[in-house]
Amino acid sequence: MSDKVPKGKPVTAISDNVLIERLNQGDIASFETLFFRHYDRVYGLLFRLLGNRAEAEDVAQEVFIKLYQKPLSGRRDHNVSAWLYRVATNKGYNQIRSRKRRWQRDVVLNSDVGDTASDPAEIADKNDSITSVRTALLSLPERQAKLLLLRQMGLSYAELGEACGIAKGSVGKTLSRAAEAFRSAYEKENRGRR
Amino acid sequence: MSKTEDDIQDVLENLSLLSPSAGDASRPTPEAMANLKQRLLAAERQSFSWRITNMLNRKYVFATVSLILLFVIALSFPGVRAAASDFLGLFRVDKFAPISISPEQIALLEEIAESGLYPGEIQMIEEPGEPQYVGSLSEAEDVSGMSVRRPGDLEDPDSIYAMSGGSGRLIVDVENARAILGVAGVDPALIPDSLDQATVEVTVFPSVSQNWNEGIVLLQSPSPEIQYPDDVDISALGSALLQVLGMEQAEADNIAANFDWTSTLLVPIPENMASFNEVRVDGEVGLALSSLEGNNSGLIWQRDGVVYVLSGADTRQLIDVANSLQ
Repeated sequence: MSDKVPKGKPVTAISDNVLIERLNQGDIASFETLFFRHYDRVYGLLFRLLGNRAEAEDVAQEVFIKLYQKPLSGRRDHNVSAWLYRVATNKGYNQIRSRKRRWQRDVVLNSDVGDTASDPAEIADKNDSITSVRTALLSLPERQAKLLLLRQMGLSYAELGEACGIAKGSVGKTLSRAAEAFRSAYEKENRGRR
Repeated sequence: MSKTEDDIQDVLENLSLLSPSAGDASRPTPEAMANLKQRLLAAERQSFSWRITNMLNRKYVFATVSLILLFVIALSFPGVRAAASDFLGLFRVDKFAPISISPEQIALLEEIAESGLYPGEIQMIEEPGEPQYVGSLSEAEDVSGMSVRRPGDLEDPDSIYAMSGGSGRLIVDVENARAILGVAGVDPALIPDSLDQATVEVTVFPSVSQNWNEGIVLLQSPSPEIQYPDDVDISALGSALLQVLGMEQAEADNIAANFDWTSTLLVPIPENMASFNEVRVDGEVGLALSSLEGNNSGLIWQRDGVVYVLSGADTRQLIDVANSLQ
């Protein structure tokens, strides 16, 4: 029998919960598997929140350090990705709060537009748009902002419910309210910029 | 697709602007893993106890630990603290009450904090500024806008820093506050429904720090103020706070019923780090802290609405310094 994984099949067949159980027993390889499985999405979430690559990488690492140092308990029904998103957004917001100087926030709001566009006017326009979107997003209550970001990343209602601590049946309504709040904040932000 | 779904979709399209582009992609995952391993190794070398010892050896940090503790408590449990008043809408520090807290309880509280369970939504109104180096006490007074006292027993300080104040508010989420109690093993029903969405405002005023090369640091700042709603059961919420800090229910109930929650600030002292006792200092009753290794001491007291934190090596010397303030 071949050891090769057939094309199209996921290479990560072991469930997150089994990996957590093994990690609790000191299995470092399980931790590495969890890292490879979830790092990109945790980074993606933090980049959307922080707008800065170095900062997002740093905080993403802190999230996994926490997972390593205080692994989830031995229960078999953990939703590891929901836990990671929850810790990531909490740490992301802590990072935002710890930015002591306004100029730092402004730099971050405008920073790291890693775009390939070469037209300076086009880049400036995109910078402005990103700044408006992020400012509006950060003006929302954390739970609403987190819900919108995770939805934008493609999470299902069930996954959103777990990650944000909302009953599955209430996700749609909460999401709709969050979208409305964002729209209002975004319009206000744009009016202020004109 | 319904209008609501269309609206959500529009918002998600706006948010897609925040997605990392090709140039924003994280470094390759194996490289990130290698970096993470280095950080984990460094963290393991620097165990918790070593870090605490190291912190205690850095006198400036130790000098501020007590004040930070005050603010941590004020900011971490404002809902509980706020609700602990029967009729006053404003809390100012007048006295300090030490409470010993076990390492296990600290670990539990840290876990709660890191899990993101806050007793509500925290909104910063004005961020406190960074410490600003100033050349003299008069300049410190100009920058901070406060009158600064200096000890007559010591020469002029070797360095002086002034820091501006800040403020923030907490909008209480009763569900979360109850969840915190639940995780801490305390009866969640101690938090009444009436606290939901109540607003608690915390104001921290400018501070000035005077530092001497021999390791003495004096920090002074007007008492922080906490504005809160009224009409809640003092004893029940005070007891809840004490139980969160690790006290048995019966003892917590008894102490909470006889405690002045409007002007006494609980100061949790990690039992594996420091011992404490009440002292007479600067004409007031203050709190003396001594690290268990015996090489660091601190004093906290309040006089005329100003909170003082003084640290150094020897409690007796610190009391003399405090008594010479002018």
